[in-house]
Amino acid sequence: MSETVFIAVIAGLLALDDRAGWQSLLGEPVFAALLVGLAAGPVGPALRCGVALQLVWLSIGAARGSRRPNVVVGGLVAAGAACGVLERTGDPRELFVVATAVFCGLLAGEAGAVVARVAGGGRERWLGRFQLPAEAGAASRRLVLTTTASALYVALVDGIFVLLALPAAVFLTETVTGRLGAAAAGATWWLALLPALAAGTIVHAFATRTLARFAALGLLIAGVASWLL
Amino acid sequence: MAPVTGRLSRGQLAHVFARLLFIQATIHRRGMQNIGFLAALDAAAAPITGDPAGLLARHAEHFNTNPNAAPVVVGGVLRIEEEGGKGGPASVSRFKQACASALAAAGDVLFSGGLKPLALTLAAVSAIYSFFAGLVAVLVLYNAAVLAVRYRGLTFGYERGWGVIDAFSGSRVQRVLGIARASAACAGGLLVGVVLTRAVGQGPVLVALTIGVSALAWTAIRRGVPASRIAILFFPLSWIVAMVLK
Repeated sequence: MSETVFIAVIAGLLALDDRAGWQSLLGEPVFAALLVGLAAGPVGPALRCGVALQLVWLSIGAARGSRRPNVVVGGLVAAGAACGVLERTGDPRELFVVATAVFCGLLAGEAGAVVARVAGGGRERWLGRFQLPAEAGAASRRLVLTTTASALYVALVDGIFVLLALPAAVFLTETVTGRLGAAAAGATWWLALLPALAAGTIVHAFATRTLARFAALGLLIAGVASWLL
Repeated sequence: MAPVTGRLSRGQLAHVFARLLFIQATIHRRGMQNIGFLAALDAAAAPITGDPAGLLARHAEHFNTNPNAAPVVVGGVLRIEEEGGKGGPASVSRFKQACASALAAAGDVLFSGGLKPLALTLAAVSAIYSFFAGLVAVLVLYNAAVLAVRYRGLTFGYERGWGVIDAFSGSRVQRVLGIARASAACAGGLLVGVVLTRAVGQGPVLVALTIGVSALAWTAIRRGVPASRIAILFFPLSWIVAMVLK
């Protein structure tokens, strides 16, 4: 329970950075999951969750009209669920647990975006009614208070969502890995194929005459490095 | 560091800079970043004008640009207001909107289309190989770049005032944007190479599946389906396939 609260606090802080602050990248799944791994459990599986989600949510070439999932929530829920289940059950099928936790993270990311949008409605209406007081001192105080309250609201929404979603994700991961052992191979293959989605995203984003040349250069570097090493 | 000439000291500019870090905190559909813009101006309003409330009231209108480019506009407006708002409020407002639009496009290409994908791709590659120093380096360098651009943007805008418009209409900006996009593309190619070489190491079946899924993802993204939805859809499908094959 204390770990769930701790991860919820991290979620609030990272949401603050991701949607109210300057987007330091700490809220991106690869870094958020690493933080969870360092704070609450084994780093390896947490980082595996973060990489898998990062590759799916690579922030380039977003589909037209699509809304960005809540990557902060998704990364933390996935890493938290993987760490929690591995710590509690000691399941030796680490990849199966990670795959299921990543799936939970993807669902949490989609649900988190919807929750943030719905909860953000109230904040929108409140900010839309903002009036600047005529007196300079009062205006200054109102601006600082409004900014602080709005940022805290964003943090609170994500923190509370993670507080509720993480236990649900741990339960789902534990249930799936405990009862659907026959699906382990499929889930592991699914996890192994997630990077292919990133490859598709990259090809889509950089398939222009100018940029394709540079992408091909990167591909060549990776090929040569793998051959040499 | 070259001294900033004007009524505002480095400390006061640092105060404006700190407020600008949270310009997104109050973003809303009606005024977009106007409250954040006002909060930043408020930090320096008293030293540059005798009527800070009047200055804030003049800038309460809709404002929207790339958050990393906003400091340039704020710096420019501070200088113009410090000089007495030459040309009247309507001109200052036009300056603000013109800069905001031009810098929004440039900022999106530079940060969302260049630096961020570059950093995240390199972070993903580092994480795949459990290279923690690489992860830390990406985080530190990205933040150093973003914070430096934001602070320099503020002092640059404050130095130039109206001259900001000329500075961003040259070909140098386009060259920088091109380099950022090319670097991101190169890192993207590197990641594709890493994905492929790792698949090769695990046998021809995974190579074939990787190429197939990549092609499918590319087609789906072209049709407006996000990669995350494909991943969610494939998870139960992978169970079924595994159970049938067993």
